[in-house]
Amino acid sequence: MGTRTYAQAAAAGIWASGAKHVGYIPSVTVAPVIQALVETDGGRDGVSEHVTPLSREEEAVGVLGALPLAGSFGAVVMQDNGFGNNLTALTTFSVSYHLPLLIVANTRGSLGEYNSMIHSISQHVPPILRTLGIPVVELDRRSSVDDWHDVIAEAGTHAVMTYRPVVVLASFWNTDGKVA
Amino acid sequence: MRRIEALAHLVELTEHDPLVVTCAATSRELASLADRDNHLYLLDSMGLVGSVATGLAIAVDGSDVRKVIGIEGDGSLLMNPNVLPTGGYLAPDRLLMVLLDNRVYGSTAGLPTYADRVDLGALAAASGWTVGTADDEASLRAEFARLAETPGPALLHVRIEAGNAADIAKLLVDPVSITLRFTAWLTARLPRPAA
Ligand SMILES: [Mg+2]
Repeated sequence: MGTRTYAQAAAAGIWASGAKHVGYIPSVTVAPVIQALVETDGGRDGVSEHVTPLSREEEAVGVLGALPLAGSFGAVVMQDNGFGNNLTALTTFSVSYHLPLLIVANTRGSLGEYNSMIHSISQHVPPILRTLGIPVVELDRRSSVDDWHDVIAEAGTHAVMTYRPVVVLASFWNTDGKVA
Repeated sequence: MRRIEALAHLVELTEHDPLVVTCAATSRELASLADRDNHLYLLDSMGLVGSVATGLAIAVDGSDVRKVIGIEGDGSLLMNPNVLPTGGYLAPDRLLMVLLDNRVYGSTAGLPTYADRVDLGALAAASGWTVGTADDEASLRAEFARLAETPGPALLHVRIEAGNAADIAKLLVDPVSITLRFTAWLTARLPRPAA
């Protein structure tokens, strides 16, 4: 337990949330999370039976957000600047149809960010999501590896219990991971 | 063939299949013909039919569900054309998309789509889908029957006339009622918790 990385803890938390399938949109920051998800699912090179690359955040909401209609549950791993791409799908589908979905996104809008352009969207993601009534839980350097695991797992439970998408925003700055 | 005529055949062909239907006129016209528990109307999610059907096709793998069927329009598919490469890449066995192509945004003032100049069926084929085409009622039924038995992502490209049926009521339902009805119907057909 004590030797795992924040990324490994995040991946374990996603499986512990009850997610049966994970879709991801690549980013360098979440690549270690994806690698840990794939490895723990018996795959390699970014793909396994239950871990799937996708090309845009909007379709991720459609593909993984649909699983509860079949009695299952899914998770999306992405970067926070992609919420500009998927807000319409999140609101008109997941929120309106009361479909649980766990989204774990790394943040690019604060400490450690070098890119002022990505900051322009990422900085505003938490208030945008909260304005839409989508619960946001934030993680950063101040809590332990085990806390990241537990928060992500419970966020999935919260999504299922409330029949809504729940977003975990994870800042890797000053953890053992990297921002970008 | 008009859209509502194509839908009348699809209603007959899909009584036991999960059906994900694109918004506005297509959902309304389908519901006016038959409003069944196996219909998942996406009331305002343009372009999402293929993604939702892909997720469901993954979820029903290993069950007795032969195909998850998406009914999509050309304009809606062009709002999320990722559906084609993603479906081809993930290649779920039980995915069948019926593309009702009238070359216009039928629910949006009949403005033109790209479908005049871009062959959406060829795009699907290039992405690895098995593609069938239909331009009349006989070919629609024959190709549907063939593709429903073809493993892997399949797309039935149906050429239809532009225009909406007259005097069709709006679908003014709370989406969660669709969720509850469709989920109960589908999960009753799945032998175990879906993965
Ligand atoms: Mg059209």
